[in-house]
Amino acid sequence: MADLTSKLTQRISKTQGQSPQRKFPRATGLVLLVAAIALLGAFPLLPFVNNYLIDVGFIVGIYALLGLSLNIVLGEVGLFDLGHMAFCAIGAYTTGILFHQLHLPIVILLPISAIVAGGFAYLVTSPVIHLRGDYLCIVTIGIGEIVRLVLQNNPGGLTNGPNGIGNIGNPDFGLFSIQSPTQFYYYIWIVIGLVIIGLINLQKSRVGRAWNYIREDEIAAKANGIDVRAFKLLAFVLGAAIAGIAGNIYASKYMFIEPNNFSFMESALLFCIVLLGGLGSIPGSLLGAAVIVIFPEIFRQFASYRLLFFGAALIVMMIFRPGGLWPRRREGLGFAGLGIRKLPRDENALLAEAPVPPRPGTVPLKTYRLPPVTVAMSEGLILETKAITLKFGGLVAVSNFDMSVVTGKITSLIGPNGAGKTTLFNVITGIYRPNKGKVVFQGRDITKLKPHTIIGAGIARTFQNIRLFPSLTCIENVMSGPHCHAKEGTWPAVFRTPAQAREERKIVELASYRLNQVGLWAFRNELAKNLPYGKQRLLELARALATSPSLLILDEPSSGLNDKETEDLMAMLQVFLGEGFTMLLIEHDMNVVMGISDWVTVMDMGSKIAEGPPREIYNNPLVIEAYLGKEED
Amino acid sequence: MDTLIQQLINGLTIGSFYALVALGYSMVYGVMKLINFAHGDLFTLGSYIGYTVLVVGASWVTATFGIWGGMAIALVAAMIGIGVAGLVMERIAYRPVYKAGRLPLVVSALGMSFVISQGIMAIWGPNPQAYLSGWTPKDFLQFGNIRVPVLQIAILVLALGLMALIYWLVERTTFGAAIRAAAQDRDTATLMGINFNLIIFFVFALGPALGGMAGVMQGLKYTRISFNMGWLYGLKAFTATILGGIGNIPGAMIGGLLLGVMEALFEGYVSGAWKDVFIFLILILVLIWRPTGLFGEKTAEKV
Amino acid sequence: MRKVFVSLFVAILSLMLLLTGCGGGTTTPTATPTTTPTIPPPPVEKIVIGLQAPITGDFSAEGQWAKQCVEVAQDLINKAGGVLGKQIEIVVVDDGSNAKDSATAAQKMISQGLKEVIASYGSSVTRPAADLYDKNKVVSVGYGCTAVSLTMETQRPYFFRTAGRDDTQSEFFAKFAVEKLGAKKIAIMHDNQDYGKGVADDAKKFLQPSIDAGTTEIVYFDAITKGQSDYSAAITKLKEIAPDLWFFTAYYNEAALLIKQAREMGFDVTFVGNNSVPTPDFEKVAGDAIKGTYMLNEPMPQFLTFPESKTFMDAYKAKYNELPGSIWAVYAADALNALCAAIKTAGTTDPDKVAATMRTMTDAKGITGPLMFTDRGDRKNIPYYAYLYNNDGKLELFWPK
Repeated sequence: MADLTSKLTQRISKTQGQSPQRKFPRATGLVLLVAAIALLGAFPLLPFVNNYLIDVGFIVGIYALLGLSLNIVLGEVGLFDLGHMAFCAIGAYTTGILFHQLHLPIVILLPISAIVAGGFAYLVTSPVIHLRGDYLCIVTIGIGEIVRLVLQNNPGGLTNGPNGIGNIGNPDFGLFSIQSPTQFYYYIWIVIGLVIIGLINLQKSRVGRAWNYIREDEIAAKANGIDVRAFKLLAFVLGAAIAGIAGNIYASKYMFIEPNNFSFMESALLFCIVLLGGLGSIPGSLLGAAVIVIFPEIFRQFASYRLLFFGAALIVMMIFRPGGLWPRRREGLGFAGLGIRKLPRDENALLAEAPVPPRPGTVPLKTYRLPPVTVAMSEGLILETKAITLKFGGLVAVSNFDMSVVTGKITSLIGPNGAGKTTLFNVITGIYRPNKGKVVFQGRDITKLKPHTIIGAGIARTFQNIRLFPSLTCIENVMSGPHCHAKEGTWPAVFRTPAQAREERKIVELASYRLNQVGLWAFRNELAKNLPYGKQRLLELARALATSPSLLILDEPSSGLNDKETEDLMAMLQVFLGEGFTMLLIEHDMNVVMGISDWVTVMDMGSKIAEGPPREIYNNPLVIEAYLGKEED
Repeated sequence: MDTLIQQLINGLTIGSFYALVALGYSMVYGVMKLINFAHGDLFTLGSYIGYTVLVVGASWVTATFGIWGGMAIALVAAMIGIGVAGLVMERIAYRPVYKAGRLPLVVSALGMSFVISQGIMAIWGPNPQAYLSGWTPKDFLQFGNIRVPVLQIAILVLALGLMALIYWLVERTTFGAAIRAAAQDRDTATLMGINFNLIIFFVFALGPALGGMAGVMQGLKYTRISFNMGWLYGLKAFTATILGGIGNIPGAMIGGLLLGVMEALFEGYVSGAWKDVFIFLILILVLIWRPTGLFGEKTAEKV
Repeated sequence: MRKVFVSLFVAILSLMLLLTGCGGGTTTPTATPTTTPTIPPPPVEKIVIGLQAPITGDFSAEGQWAKQCVEVAQDLINKAGGVLGKQIEIVVVDDGSNAKDSATAAQKMISQGLKEVIASYGSSVTRPAADLYDKNKVVSVGYGCTAVSLTMETQRPYFFRTAGRDDTQSEFFAKFAVEKLGAKKIAIMHDNQDYGKGVADDAKKFLQPSIDAGTTEIVYFDAITKGQSDYSAAITKLKEIAPDLWFFTAYYNEAALLIKQAREMGFDVTFVGNNSVPTPDFEKVAGDAIKGTYMLNEPMPQFLTFPESKTFMDAYKAKYNELPGSIWAVYAADALNALCAAIKTAGTTDPDKVAATMRTMTDAKGITGPLMFTDRGDRKNIPYYAYLYNNDGKLELFWPK
């Protein structure tokens, strides 16, 4: 472990103080990008390129667009969606039906298709969004099949059943209309270009990071103030809307749509595109689409065997490149990878500029609507639990539990293993809802609030078994803290409004400050999973601090740390106390408990057995009995 | 009333196929947390192996061992063949990918599904094949207006028997306990001295072998086999698995039977065209009501 | 980020270039390998005709039969000296039995500069291809696409088909069921796909006069799910309704299972299958259950009596040791015959002239009879027959004799 740390430190010290190396200087990169786009743009004009190849280019485009849309759901948020073609079908059929029924022009139907597909996604996924992994997977398959079958069964004569809808018009922009393969080629790639710009902006914003937090660890995301449900739904709606756009373009290109265009097999292909390219990787989705489309085309001559080769290729690819052909890289990019405007090139300068955060409790809580003060706040108490009871089946985990935490002090909750301490923390932070009792925070009843609202209200926590976002960098981990106080949403992020840029900058400044405070500044661009254990604990602490809480709940902060690290931790906690953070700890290390606590509550078998100043507790026979068992005699 | 009874028999028959295939899904999922999309295609491969055994030498097997003997040999051959195929599949397509996480495994499974179904097409041709009528018994039992072929009864009995055997094996034996332990927590189970490779061997041999046998039974019962029939069975069996609660062995069986009966009743009394819409709606409603399926354990994630 | 995109575009482009290389090499029919040290063969001028067929996908059996039939017809033509003194070459492109791939396959044919194409099987698969061929002035001849709308909804000057139209069959069915069999309670079952549903809907339409007259009623009209193995639920329902006649309007796969399971369950209703049912696979799968069932079809391969039919069937048998699996594959061969006849008469492969000739030619003889087309591109004079599977399990002509 120590070895790893020293290696990491060495590596980091090399790049310390300068922005990380790039393979290309910025200017060369720009030239190459322009050249590549020009080449893609010139492709249809090349002498050997015929309409067939241009059409293949178009199909790559359609699948790329669909891949990008699924990438939001599957890649960014990690939700198994094996029925994504349903959304494309909704877009295509919206176009086909409205074109014939209302004679609307195709171009106007483009946004309408997107909206209808997005709205549809909201309706069908909101009841099932809470399902986990494979259960969500079968539901999306089910949605895909239901949509296809309903289209086939021709309800109300709208969809024309299995015959499909034909004679759909071409897009007409007034001055010119899109008809030839070449025109369609440019049309789709320009749309893709615009979508990509929006997606990159989104990916590198609070929204994109929130998606990644959910993918990495849903519980930790919740406990850091991310509204998991809302962001999952947002991903589905956005993904569906883009798929709807693809559906519109598909319908206008082929002028004919039928239910079988949107079969499960197509959804499975999209799934492969995203995974072949790499989860959450935008260029990966494009490359995946190119592979999926072009590979079978090459083998069209050997028609009988092409799917056989294709299947084998999928397996081989997953064996040798499980992360995808073009995985999204996060480490080594430096803060430039965060995509925030006008950051100083020198990251240390940013740290120097970063203002000291305001004292706890003074962060404005505009974003979360809290219930009015219903309980008179007892003098100086920041948190009270009143007669909390929580049962799991027949097992009573927490029983009629009262405790209080005094503002500006350190309170410790101790007790033998299995006493129900962590469960109580989970009740306080809203992960479990108690069967009985109330949690009162700053005079407000927060018992029924969702975890992310509670975090927003000013309670932050760490976990007993560290729960970081392993594949994100340290700075990105800590940037989840300020998330709950930020308010710029999807559209400001897509268009990079000045207000959004300012907010992003504030977030990175605060995160930098907290990361530096726990001594991890040097590791800012490393992936969290590469840190040694002790440093992971500190990172989690920094992340909790970055939510600017009034009350910090730490679940066994010293477990797994050596003596030196524990000492440092205690010193650090004292500093935080000085800053005005109130703290509630679960701790087993009696040196820590006795050393820094102002008040100790003892829990056993779900009930409170004692409380008082540390000295008193230390000699309390009940406590000793709980820990050591009753003496026989 | 006759019609209702007939529909229930119809539903149980098709449901027992779903259940046998679902068992394989559920066993593999329980231990490996992998949705084995190639499972339906192994089912198809099983029916082709059985077909090959029976067709060889102008029905030599049936002529020598009699109708029942021939069917038994075909079943055993498919069981062994698919068991081996399952192990080979695990070795080449899943084991090298296992470390990379669950999503690459899904893609690898989809790839495997292509390879098997297209491989069948390359070997046996794109046209459907038929189990000849001389290979199966023609007798039937008549109860009033209801006529049930003896073969159907035999298949139902065999399917239910196999399910009972698996249930006993997984729920009542030490080895079954080891499987369940490995499904709960692979690392801890290994530390407790459970040979995980043996478990994988068992799961990837037995799960597909059951599917392979179901493949032969489906050939015997319905005659027609085709290279791409696995996908529909796979989807229905996967639905049954989820309905029952994935990873739960009795759940998969009951899910399969329930699905078959629901299909038969809906098709019989409402509409064939809307049958699958109805099935998936039921599935979604069940999951909204019980997020881990009918018999899945309600698991609170450890925080 | 930029670097990422640069490499990305390079990668996509190189893939596309790979595709060009691959496509170009195999598709230029006149290209002869220059590296082989053998004596260069005398330059043979060829007429290249495309065959777009479902080599993979749901209709792969039909696609492969079509390929075989077209190749046999090609051999016959080439052995007889070719057309305009040139040999015929066939380029096969797979359309995967689906509409999207069909459009790409068509674009590929067009890009290769083909002027005459045989395409394709399945109406919804054919439609996008026919549109593209038409737009690019390529004569295309369908062989397994029978939807009425293909020719009657939009006029495509360059599209023809050698197969008949669905409504001809449905009209024939109504006549057969009412006049010949005297059915009073009719059940119509389809598979909810474009072809089956189309025939079923038309059958309903043509039965309407008898229904209005009160002599006939439709007691069942529903779909089964394609691709299943067990249809006992649908059959049980049907059995309870007890129709006199059961008309099934989709493909042989489902038909075979339905009739077999129905007979197993002791359901002895008169069964009428449409023109996609009587195939070797139907007979193989359904076994004895086929006895006594009626099949509606255009003249089947084994009942063709023209001299050209005999020549073709003999050649086919010599090569494959069996008759073509379906009439549709034979229509594909006739599509080639029609195109060759038109090219011969027109004296050129120019699509405009070939298309014009197709409409006017009267002397072209095909395997399935004279090859004449209406202005909208439909085949003229396609007769319909009802066949009966007799007690030996063989088809015999039943009505009209």
